[in-house]
Amino acid sequence: MKSKFARYLLQKFIWYLVAFFLAVSLNFFLPRLIPGNPVKVLVSQMATGGVQSDALARIYDNYMREFGLDQPMHIQFLRYFANLFRGDLGTSFMLYPGKVSNLIREALPWTVALQIPTILIGWIIGNVLGAACAYKGGRFDAIAFTSALAVSNIPYYCLAIILLYALAVHNPVFPVGGGYSFGSYPELSLSFLLDALHHYTLPFVSMIVVAIGGQAIGMREMALYELTTDYVHYSKALGLSDKKVIRYVFRNAMLPQITGLAISFGTMMGGALVTETVFSYPGIGSLLFTAIRQTDYPLIQGCTLIITVAVLLANFLVDIAYGFIDPRIRAAQLGER
Amino acid sequence: MKNLLEAQNLKAYYRLVGGTQIKAVDGVTLELRPNEVLGIAGESGCGKSTLAAVVSLTHNPPLNVVDGQVTANGFDLLTLPKEEARREIKGKYISVVPQGAMNALNPTTRIQSFAIDMLREHHPEMTKQEAINLARARLQELSLPERVLTSYPHELSGGMRQRTVIVLSTLLNPRVLIADEPTSALDVSSQKAVIRLLMTLLDEQIISSIAFITHELPLLRQVADRIAIMYAGKLVEVGTMEEIIFQPQHPYTRALMGSMLVPERQVRERRVEGIPGVPPDLKDPPAGCRFHPRCAQRIDWCTQEEPPSKTVGDRTIWCWLMH
Repeated sequence: MKSKFARYLLQKFIWYLVAFFLAVSLNFFLPRLIPGNPVKVLVSQMATGGVQSDALARIYDNYMREFGLDQPMHIQFLRYFANLFRGDLGTSFMLYPGKVSNLIREALPWTVALQIPTILIGWIIGNVLGAACAYKGGRFDAIAFTSALAVSNIPYYCLAIILLYALAVHNPVFPVGGGYSFGSYPELSLSFLLDALHHYTLPFVSMIVVAIGGQAIGMREMALYELTTDYVHYSKALGLSDKKVIRYVFRNAMLPQITGLAISFGTMMGGALVTETVFSYPGIGSLLFTAIRQTDYPLIQGCTLIITVAVLLANFLVDIAYGFIDPRIRAAQLGER
Repeated sequence: MKNLLEAQNLKAYYRLVGGTQIKAVDGVTLELRPNEVLGIAGESGCGKSTLAAVVSLTHNPPLNVVDGQVTANGFDLLTLPKEEARREIKGKYISVVPQGAMNALNPTTRIQSFAIDMLREHHPEMTKQEAINLARARLQELSLPERVLTSYPHELSGGMRQRTVIVLSTLLNPRVLIADEPTSALDVSSQKAVIRLLMTLLDEQIISSIAFITHELPLLRQVADRIAIMYAGKLVEVGTMEEIIFQPQHPYTRALMGSMLVPERQVRERRVEGIPGVPPDLKDPPAGCRFHPRCAQRIDWCTQEEPPSKTVGDRTIWCWLMH
């Protein structure tokens, strides 16, 4: 049984490896399909300083060599792969000579700090609410379900803009954007944490409200379905208490929700793009947005690489975790049925 | 001895959106005696499963009991508070083998966890190990493999799941087992195993009586002591197995027997005939005897007034021809 599981893991792993290479290749080619030469833009920005045109041409050639853009595409591609394996994500064009890995390292904590609590808390509250709706029914369900349906259908950027207008512009309770106040510097002090929390509130609220609504709707549907299954009727017919029956129902209704949780974790890196942009939050989303606007190939590649890895990792973990939770899937994994 | 379960003039209707009612069980009086198998038979939609749901207290809206009484073990089941019915009756005095029993198990728990939950629900003082031991002993007694306990439902065959459900349903030695089509959707050898299991439960006095709901009359010929024939929500004839199978008197029972394939001598050479027409719409059943539109022997009375019951010995019959 153990070796079968190991084989299953290996199979899955190879599968994910292939997916990873395909995705990484796409990460290389897609930014290069954006029209325009980023180095030309970079150099033309310098031209405003009144530099001689032959000097500009030399700077241009120098940059092209420096970034490796003078090489044919396939050589660039191979270099990109070779560098990737050495952990070198390259140098940003626009923030030259900033290393892409450093830029990402600075942005990542902001995205993670914004997304993980939002996803987890939204998931827990949403599921409890959805389960309660399905079980209680009646008025409670009517009110809670309708509200969940309403908020989950507000596009989250729309909610973000409404919140921004109401609580930052019109009624300046919260700052309009950024991760911390202008002039302060990230450090481990109480005043900085409070300041960061103050900036954190609006993006957090705008995302969690939508997350709760979406999860609650999914959970309610699943629980309602489970409540009408044969095993529920049978358990009740044998005199099992509601408490025990509900435990069966929620465990089974949870299964698809766990997939949902993992998928949100996977897409969280890219998922905050709009929210981060609206609130100028210094995370991966904002970084990617800037990089795309300036056709900064290495930075785009770096950001999409992080997203790729997160999505694949989350899916891989779900594949494994699911087998522990659902015996039917475990049997399929072990090739028993 | 006292009857184990009694239904008195029971009426149970499905209430549809808009207020129409489907009179699925409409004035049924029937008793389950100690140490017997009572077969309840009839065409699809005659109300036999509805009757089973009500007497086992497993009915849910839109099915509502509008009139009548169900008594068991000294309790008036229909007025008994839900919590008391759950603790005193369900699984303990009356148990069920539901229709499609092979799908009645929770797909994500092992059989033994369900057995533990069920036993400890009714005997909170029991430890988990005691519950497992009890379940294991019962499986051995009934010659079912012990591995069932540690299996998940999907790891068992359909027939084995069906038998597992029967064992789980009877763990608490209920007096009454209500089995709704326990052999449908099974192959012949699994059917035989299920029947043998039910008979063993009776022989060992693990249960006292079975209400066996089915549309397969040949099966009742094998297992039933008494048979009740239902048509369009009402009983038409109740009697011993021999009376119903070999000397049916109600025109519907006779028609039903005429459409049955059994290797009895008197049946073997006869042409099998169906019953002309279709069962009535239970939203608006016909006046008088409900079978009269399809009955070849109807007289004027049949279309006007409901036939009263007539009892001779063990047989009760609802037909104007008997009066």
